[in-house]
Amino acid sequence: MDDLTREFLIESQEGLDRMERGLTELEKRPEDTGLLAEIFRSVHTIKGTTGFLGFKRLEKLAHAGENLLGLLRDGKLRADGPIVTGLLKLLDGLRAILKFIEAAGDEGDGSDAELIRVLVELQAPARAGQPVSAAHGAKSVAKSAPASTAGPMTPSVAPASPAAAVANSTAGAAAAPQSEKVAPPATEEAAPLKAEGAKLRPQAVGSAAESTLRVDITLLNRMMNLVGELVLTRNQVLQATAADPNMTPLSRRLDMVTADLRETVMKARMQPVSNIFSKMPRLVRDLTQSLGHRARLEMEGQETELDKSLLEAIKDPLTHAVRNALDHGIEPPEVRVAQGKDAEGVLRLRAAQEGSHVLVEISDDGAGIAVDKVRAKALERGLISAERAAQLGERELLQLIFLPGFSTAAQVTNVSGRGVGMDVVRTNVEKIGGKVEIDSRPGKGTTLRLRIPLTLAIVPALIVRSLKQSFALPQGALSELVHIPPERTATAIEWIENAPLYRLRGRLLPLVFLDGLLMPGRECRLDPSRDNFIAVLDADGRRFGLVVESLADPEEIVVKPLSAVLKDIGLYSGATVLGNADLALILDPTSIALKAGVALDEADDPDCAVEGGEESQETARQEFLLVEASGRRAAVQLADVLRIEQLPLSRIEYIGYRPVLNFAGQLLPVEDAGGVLAGCEGKPDAQVVVVICRDGGRQVAVAVSHVLDVAAGGDLFEAGANLRAESVTLLKDRVTGVVNLVGVERLPAAETAPAALAAAQT
Amino acid sequence: MSAKAARIRKGKTAAMAEVCSVHAGAILFGVPIAHILEIVGSARPQPVPLAPGFIGGLVHYRGDVLTTVSLRHLLGLSPREGPQDILVLESAGGCFGLLVDSVSEVLSVSTADYEPNPSILDERRGALFAGSYKLKNQLLVMLEPERLDPVRLGGSQAA
Repeated sequence: MDDLTREFLIESQEGLDRMERGLTELEKRPEDTGLLAEIFRSVHTIKGTTGFLGFKRLEKLAHAGENLLGLLRDGKLRADGPIVTGLLKLLDGLRAILKFIEAAGDEGDGSDAELIRVLVELQAPARAGQPVSAAHGAKSVAKSAPASTAGPMTPSVAPASPAAAVANSTAGAAAAPQSEKVAPPATEEAAPLKAEGAKLRPQAVGSAAESTLRVDITLLNRMMNLVGELVLTRNQVLQATAADPNMTPLSRRLDMVTADLRETVMKARMQPVSNIFSKMPRLVRDLTQSLGHRARLEMEGQETELDKSLLEAIKDPLTHAVRNALDHGIEPPEVRVAQGKDAEGVLRLRAAQEGSHVLVEISDDGAGIAVDKVRAKALERGLISAERAAQLGERELLQLIFLPGFSTAAQVTNVSGRGVGMDVVRTNVEKIGGKVEIDSRPGKGTTLRLRIPLTLAIVPALIVRSLKQSFALPQGALSELVHIPPERTATAIEWIENAPLYRLRGRLLPLVFLDGLLMPGRECRLDPSRDNFIAVLDADGRRFGLVVESLADPEEIVVKPLSAVLKDIGLYSGATVLGNADLALILDPTSIALKAGVALDEADDPDCAVEGGEESQETARQEFLLVEASGRRAAVQLADVLRIEQLPLSRIEYIGYRPVLNFAGQLLPVEDAGGVLAGCEGKPDAQVVVVICRDGGRQVAVAVSHVLDVAAGGDLFEAGANLRAESVTLLKDRVTGVVNLVGVERLPAAETAPAALAAAQT
Repeated sequence: MSAKAARIRKGKTAAMAEVCSVHAGAILFGVPIAHILEIVGSARPQPVPLAPGFIGGLVHYRGDVLTTVSLRHLLGLSPREGPQDILVLESAGGCFGLLVDSVSEVLSVSTADYEPNPSILDERRGALFAGSYKLKNQLLVMLEPERLDPVRLGGSQAA
């Protein structure tokens, strides 16, 4: 395919995307001449270029559409439902041919006669229910400018379409002097039109902006790879030159430039969410029409940016969610009215950035999910036991709809009203390291939240070693690590026949030996001569422990695809290059669980039954992370702990006297009640451990000397008072203070914090 | 190519081809240089547990992770200890590495000296080799990247 054709395809596709947006808008504002002109222009451009390139079929179809649009633009017809439907069909027709050209290089020999006939029929002004637009237009003009005749006025608004906003304003200006006495209504009428036209324009002509450039995505991927390579080389240079003081300024400069370059390339891959949001108005329109529901689509935060590949990845889940909301969420108009709701439902799409994640929310004000029906369904399908079902709270029951096997299309549609393929939505989102949450109130509506990481290319992972090789375990599946010291190796694991099990807080955890898995026939046992580790993984509800030889540092890894032959092994989801230039295979916890035969956890474990949701509050309350700070023991509620990080002391910066931590782009206040930071003073090379906790909406870092263990805490009662003591708990039979996160002083107000950080960094 | 075709070619002007010669076991192999993207010397590929035998492991190549095919394994030879050389080859399925004992030199060979695979060659070898050039003192057995592509090898092994 020659460059000219390729250019034409890209441009036409963009034009058609704009046309699609325009058409759904048009239904709401059929009189918007600016909008009509925009749509007309898209089709006109295609027609013009096709004639030039010799695509006859495309030209003929575009021509038929152009005729209809011309009438609309000139105000001879009014854009009503059937016309918009016809134009959308035209759009699909044009797209289909473009697709064909892209794939095969020619237009194919399909016939568009039927579509053209429809378009021609729509041009007939005498169609039933079609008010003649000239009269309609005349009415509004006549109101404002009774002196002028309707005839000449209407065309003056319409045909100047290529510069619609200008045309509108001149029309307004022309009307004003003529109707001096009745001026106020005239300007009032003209104003919203003009404003709408103006609002639409930047979006419409955005692609023409001269400061932007179209870049092939493969080129960007290549750049990303090369930057990754550069980062590795930099690491090696830094290591090699560490001893040479002459090289220090140079290597530091290299370090900074590399970091900057990496960030810039990442930024280049970002695209606004509007790229997929803009497909939704059409989907909503088509679905509501075919379902007979009425819904209004509201979108917010379209400018939020996401990595291109992630955007592609959430397209299907989002479409699915919107379809679900319309199909099962929003009720038919008569039902809504009977319930005292507005006949028209509201479907809201919202995107916003939250730290290193982007939140995409799909909410409707429909029927919500009836948890009783979910419970009944889960029981019927044998997904949970009856006792368990009775214990589950509403939130936990809602999570059941994400279980694979909860639904197969039709059955659940009738029952719960939701849940068609929700497991697929979750799987897709989790595949890219995201999370799905659901919230529903019967009668009030449902909200589905997709939490997506900003970039796909980089995933936090724990590096583990086995068979003298490094492997990467994605942090997303990792729930905890268990250390087995040499003296406990003999007794730590219990066996039933050849199934190894570990007692984790009183429950048996099936174990998989990584070395045994990778080298069939190898004896699975703990080596008593050294430490052993169990990584407790939760892979889509399959909970198991992976026994590894040793742990290395957690690292942010850049995921590289594997060749098909290696992907077929089924254990690895990719490979990565580590900071020390070693290669590591990325393990896929779900495949490992399947390969080792780990079944879905019986839903009697609270942690698993509510997977995807928050842990049951009651159990979580009882568990604490036991830490030591300058010789004293303290506890942090495990439910609040987000991460534990070991950092060089230099990462802790100060705003005034207050220690803060710039972690993953967010500023965290550091709690140092234990005096750990103070104790490290004068030791610039010292490493500190910080526990990053959640305190309501904010995050707080607690500096500690060591993390000791996770333990269940008991309540303490004051003798005689029978009052539960606050802020202390009984851990391992010792009274231990609980760190009061709420007490950590807040940072200066939100808007001043970044400035203060900048000041601290410079 | 049939013998007749070879004769016809011989009759015409004999073109020269540039071939990179490599050692694996006792045989001298050749790969047309047009297919070679790069030669990586003394690499130590990272083994991939549970991978098919012909996979020589993974190497880090220009920011990407490259799958390698072990020529020794394809020839039924025992794996070699120590570092090996890698030819980075391009085929329809993408890039892959070919692990060889050592890369020798680039030779100019005349197409007049080309002969297709002999009929007595065992079928499995015949599928790998693409004929040979008669050098003065030995044969240069030609390898074709398309036939060594790991995806293709994986497919034929499954079949």
